[in-house]
Amino acid sequence: MRKTLLILFILFGAAQMAIAQDFPFGQVTPGEMEMKKYAKDTSAHAVVLQEFGTSRIAVASDDNIKLIYEYHVKIKIFDNKGFDNGTIAIPVYNNGDADSYESVDDIAGVTFYKDDNGLTQKVELENRKIYPVKENKHWANYKFALPGLRNGCVIEYKYRIESPYFENFHSWHFQNDIPKLYSEYEVHIPAFYVYNASLKGNFKLTKNAVEVERSCFSTHGASCDCSKMVYGMSDIPAFVNEDYMTSPKNFLSAINFELVEYTSPYNGVKNKMTKEWKDIDYQLKNYSDFGGQLKRKGLLKAHVEPLISGKTDDLEKAKAIYVHQQKWFKWNEHYGIYSVDGISKALETHSGSVADINLSLVTALNAAGLNASAVLLSTRENGLINSLYPVIGDFNYVVARVEIGDKSYLLDATDPLLPFGMLPLRCLNDKGRVMSLDKPSYWTDLNLPQRETSTYTMDLSLSEDGKLKGTLLEYSAGYKAYEKRKAIKKFNTVDEYVEDFNGKLPKLKILKSEIDNLDSLDKPLSEKYEIEVNLYDKLNANRLTFNPFFLDKITTNPFKLSERSFPVDWGMSSDDRFILTMHLPSQYVIETPPQIIAVALPNNGGKYLTSYEPDNNSFTFSHIIQFNKSVYSSEEYPYLKELYNKVIQSEKAEMVFKKK
Amino acid sequence: MRSILISCLLLALSGVAKAQEIYNADLIPKDLLPYASAVIRNKEVSIAVKDLYNTTYYIKEAITVLNKNGDDMARIVIEHDKSNIIRNIKGAAYNEFGKQIKKFSEGDFDDVSAGNDFSLFEDTRLKHFLPAITEYPYTIAYEYETRSRQTLNFKEWYPNPGVGVAVEKSSFTFSCKPDFKIRYNENNIPGSVEINTNPAGLKTYTWRLNNLKAIKDEPLSPYYEKYLSCVKIAPENFTYYGISGAFTNWKELGKWEYDKLIAGRQELSPETIERVKEITKDITDPKLKAKKIYEYMQAKTHYISVQVGIGGNQPFLASDVDKQNYGDCKALVNYTQALLKAANIESYYCVVEANDDYKVSLLHDFASLEQGNHIILCLPFKNDTTWADCTSQTMPFGYLGGFTDDRAVLACTPEGGKLMHTPKYSVNDNIKSRKANFLIEENGNLKGNMVTTFRGADYDYRDQLINEPLAEKYKMLQKIYPINNLDIDNLDLKQDKGREPVTIENIKLHARDYATAANGKYYFMLNPVNRQTTPLRRIRNRLNDVYINRGFTDEDEVIYKLPEGLRLEKEPLNVSIEKPFGKFTATMQLKGNQLVYRRKFQLIDGTYNKDVYQDLVDFYQTVVDADEYTVSLMK
Repeated sequence: MRKTLLILFILFGAAQMAIAQDFPFGQVTPGEMEMKKYAKDTSAHAVVLQEFGTSRIAVASDDNIKLIYEYHVKIKIFDNKGFDNGTIAIPVYNNGDADSYESVDDIAGVTFYKDDNGLTQKVELENRKIYPVKENKHWANYKFALPGLRNGCVIEYKYRIESPYFENFHSWHFQNDIPKLYSEYEVHIPAFYVYNASLKGNFKLTKNAVEVERSCFSTHGASCDCSKMVYGMSDIPAFVNEDYMTSPKNFLSAINFELVEYTSPYNGVKNKMTKEWKDIDYQLKNYSDFGGQLKRKGLLKAHVEPLISGKTDDLEKAKAIYVHQQKWFKWNEHYGIYSVDGISKALETHSGSVADINLSLVTALNAAGLNASAVLLSTRENGLINSLYPVIGDFNYVVARVEIGDKSYLLDATDPLLPFGMLPLRCLNDKGRVMSLDKPSYWTDLNLPQRETSTYTMDLSLSEDGKLKGTLLEYSAGYKAYEKRKAIKKFNTVDEYVEDFNGKLPKLKILKSEIDNLDSLDKPLSEKYEIEVNLYDKLNANRLTFNPFFLDKITTNPFKLSERSFPVDWGMSSDDRFILTMHLPSQYVIETPPQIIAVALPNNGGKYLTSYEPDNNSFTFSHIIQFNKSVYSSEEYPYLKELYNKVIQSEKAEMVFKKK
Repeated sequence: MRSILISCLLLALSGVAKAQEIYNADLIPKDLLPYASAVIRNKEVSIAVKDLYNTTYYIKEAITVLNKNGDDMARIVIEHDKSNIIRNIKGAAYNEFGKQIKKFSEGDFDDVSAGNDFSLFEDTRLKHFLPAITEYPYTIAYEYETRSRQTLNFKEWYPNPGVGVAVEKSSFTFSCKPDFKIRYNENNIPGSVEINTNPAGLKTYTWRLNNLKAIKDEPLSPYYEKYLSCVKIAPENFTYYGISGAFTNWKELGKWEYDKLIAGRQELSPETIERVKEITKDITDPKLKAKKIYEYMQAKTHYISVQVGIGGNQPFLASDVDKQNYGDCKALVNYTQALLKAANIESYYCVVEANDDYKVSLLHDFASLEQGNHIILCLPFKNDTTWADCTSQTMPFGYLGGFTDDRAVLACTPEGGKLMHTPKYSVNDNIKSRKANFLIEENGNLKGNMVTTFRGADYDYRDQLINEPLAEKYKMLQKIYPINNLDIDNLDLKQDKGREPVTIENIKLHARDYATAANGKYYFMLNPVNRQTTPLRRIRNRLNDVYINRGFTDEDEVIYKLPEGLRLEKEPLNVSIEKPFGKFTATMQLKGNQLVYRRKFQLIDGTYNKDVYQDLVDFYQTVVDADEYTVSLMK
């Protein structure tokens, strides 16, 4: 008797261990209904009470091996600002052209609320209120809104997705824009498959368990054990976005999976997906949509030859090819590291994805006998790449790199306004991996010495009619010149640009304008304006006040909060210089000069400087605002904010001119 | 019909023969080039009504793109759904000399859902295609046909598609059997319609426009229908999603909408009816009863957009909303009407063109279904007509705000439709008045308190702060007010949702370094929080009238207590300007160590002659300059 009890108990325990640790669906506790606020974050409009997900690789009902993902969540909604959490979209993917999206089933939802008599009621989501929406060729959404929401309600829903795409193993996002009491993800992976798991974010797992499930997977006579892994986290705070930060993905707590290799259960053949860089190098080189495209030098020979004929300098050749490719293609705004249509089709249609265009550029450069390679990177929005071990899925963009002499240049042909050797802001994200057909891959720094630089030089005379007349010269270099060109090209002609520019500054009259190097992308852009400003009605006052920052005064600090959690990330450093030379009518002298000030950020991070040189009836006043880093840590934030405070204070002060 | 086909064929043939000539970019009249990034060379829109169940749209267009900015104008976008089917898309691209460089067909198009972020579901889908041509100028010529199974709603004709596009030739033809009667509404059409009978015996109405210059973006322009050409067509007899009807005026259309789309959708369960009676049982005044019911509805429901069935024109059943607690504007108005009915209160379902930037009225002399984009509720109390928007959880009962005020709307009632006018929030209703008492300390720090009252259309300016926790409110205020280093010590935010809603914000604050103290002098911005920082854009050769959508009155009074013994270094600010469209005064007075600043800014809504625009630019510049005034004090 005693023995059987014990056995029963063990069996029961074992069974308990084996089944999923999901919480029961459709139940709510009085505590959950009574909850008025989330004590750890009283600002929350909603809080996740429990969240549970599983992913498993299993044989589906159609006998195919599939990735099965199940999701289940219960959320407390405190007030109507949390109602958004009751409208759900489940995205499903389709890799090919056919209508074979991943399938969603077992969608169920329920809302618990207190009725007008204070009794807990329950209302279920109706199937006919679930809307499948085919968004485009690759994505569809299953959308629904939970019924019966009201302040204080608890909502719960679950669904299941079956997917043939083993490479897209579902990530798990522990952290979200509302706080969570507890979140758990359980994965079951048969030994036929090997995945790398990586945890991102600042929070620690509170549960991290691995166990082996014996003979859990079998198909067509083959069988194996599975690893069951459970990752849990409790008391996860809400993620709060801050201004001027880079991708929240870099900071959100999440766990990601990358397929490393699998053994076919049908024939025992081992397929390596990723392991070490040398495996990835090999795989990419031999993959038709990547290495296969880089090998098509023959295809590009015809394009390239007329461009380089007669040229002996490699840099000239590279520039000619780059400019040609920039003009040849229109980017279709698609990202990715693999060619979508193949460079042959892209060349023919003048249109392609980032990979179509830039792999074509690499191949063209190589076809000209230059030493070019492809650089894989992750855009700012896509987040930082993991450099501890290779995760090919982290990359979403590819650019070209060409080595000429002892210098190397990074090139992106998706935008015809980028000068040779400059990357767009979206690409400036730490490091990229250089891939070529004949050498092992290696890391390269993407945050090039790229800067935004502008210089304003004004030479103005105050005339007897109270008007300020003279010239305004603006030089923009580096990324600033790129941005300026983009703004000017938004207009059909330079005249239309000047008309608009002047229209926005009605106090100013532009008498003449000259814009140079608009299409010479390698040179600084120069804008020269002859201007007239109505400064004073007449010049008979004994004393005149004048603000030397009158054209571009900073009056509000972009940074409002007293502290912040994430770095300020501008992507690149900047340098703005203003030089004002002003000539006064002979009857006036300077009574109060401008303030001379010099403030700097720690560790040469940046500075604000003014300088003043008086002369007979004239003076030169200049100031510099310089930020030498592209990223400022949250510890540096108070200094950054204070620098702006000093700038604003200094720009309030006025000069006084006095009649002799 | 057959002859149309033949003439198309002929045109297509001649097109092949003379393509070189037709699409050569050099042939564009030079006076169409200024401000144009694309030029429509020729566009033909034809609508053919075959019978009450069948309408065919035939679109043929050739557009020349002059530079990159015009690319998007060449994008072909075709709406479709289950009852609007696309047939035969074909087209080709031509280089600047008019030589064909590529062809395309339906297979090149992407098909996407027309739904957007705020919509849970919409039936409508979009097919779109943009050929990638890298050499400018280039021309895209295409044609397609769509078939629709209804004859109520005809797409309006807008020959000028917007800023930056000129038009060489454009025509619109409507054809139908002689017994299919239509009414039409023309806007800014210089010529007159050509009415003919074609060889197939169909009656045709044709409008043509040539040589329209590209329009520029001019700030404060009236609603586009006021200055762009447009033709609207409405049938007399029609079928719509299988429902037939007839109308020639708003009364009949409103009646049809009531009978076919709304009536019979307001059944509620006995429990809900009981509930309504319960919550209103102690109230005798019907208006107060209605307020109670409205607030009950607000607390219970929220807005979610779902556009399905009958062209997205029929509300969900009231019983459905009662259960789901959500709905779009139609569903929520219909539900509120059902609740009101349970308390024997009459109400109207009203179609309105909601728009925050323009007050757009339904055309009083032209009834058609496509006018209006939102539904609101009207309660016809005797001598006290009351309005409400049912999609908001926070609006006071009887308050519409700037989204739907002061415009003609259609009330759909069992007796038929009637045009009504929503109340107006005018210059003297939309008040933002502020009183502040500040102390500036020796070190330049500021502290004090500030009370701001918001009325009329300004009432809801602080709605986003309501229901946020205090720390979040402080952060929001730091962004709203341009005082640097602003710290809020205390906030009291009150909303009175009575007959004339008022929001009162009372802040106790301090800010480090408000004044710059240097060499015994002090500098600070006289206007601490309500600065007009952007001037109005100057426009060369303005064409449009000046439209000011909303009048308002801003009044600020700030009393600064300064450190002792200071005097002004320059002339005190004293500005006063009065124009037909507005008034601005700003003054300051220093008495002892007390500096009083007063500012009043009033803008009067209305449409003004275009010649007034430069005056308005100067007026705004005066305001900007005055608001930038820096107080400069010395010992």
